[in-house]
Amino acid sequence: MAIFSLLVTATPYSAQGQFSALQFVRVAINNGHSIKRVFFYADGVLVASRLNHPPSDEINLTKAWAKLAIEQDIDLVVCVTAALKRGITNHAEAERNALTGENLDPAFEISGLGQLTEAMLESDRLITFG
Amino acid sequence: MKSICIIFNKVPYGSQSSRELLDIALMAAAFDMPIKALFIEQGVLQLINKQQPEVLDIKNHSATFKALELYGIEEIYVDANALNNYQLTHDDLMPIAELIDNNAISEHIQQSDFVLML
Repeated sequence: MAIFSLLVTATPYSAQGQFSALQFVRVAINNGHSIKRVFFYADGVLVASRLNHPPSDEINLTKAWAKLAIEQDIDLVVCVTAALKRGITNHAEAERNALTGENLDPAFEISGLGQLTEAMLESDRLITFG
Repeated sequence: MKSICIIFNKVPYGSQSSRELLDIALMAAAFDMPIKALFIEQGVLQLINKQQPEVLDIKNHSATFKALELYGIEEIYVDANALNNYQLTHDDLMPIAELIDNNAISEHIQQSDFVLML
């Protein structure tokens, strides 16, 4: 059984990457593999906003990730530089950067690129969804 | 230690992918992971000298390629065929990379534990 990590750079909704990444995680776990971490980078970070609100007959990617993270205890990490650049922030980063408001979904964590490197060092495979 | 092969295949400033990839490379280098950098397809344009993205109001990341060696990334290779397709020569590029052919590129990819391309 292998340990996987994911690098998700796909922009949510406009592209298939985030949908595929979610399916990959589900299938990998169902087949007995484990997921060390899902790292969101570039436009991929946009999925971490709890304000994303697609029509009710479409999948809500943010909630889908959050559900998976809680059910399977998966680490969802958002790159701080990519996130702040695109208006994704938690309370601490908002305070540090004098921003009004915060929108990071609580299932996600904001951290640095070191978390991606660490994930690679502790995984057998890194799969990119761009 | 696990090794990484970073593949640059996008134009320098029409896409930010290479800058983002560069940041990943520098962070992995800080963790002392052995890193190879490959420039293929449109990515060979990343190494052209004297780029001026400032006129487009885009931050210049080209200089960072010259600093790769300082970060311990010494294995830097350019796809000779791709360079030829753009009618460029080694002299048009920053003097940091070695020209290699497709077979050598495949070998470098096969030898690496992780392959990253954005």
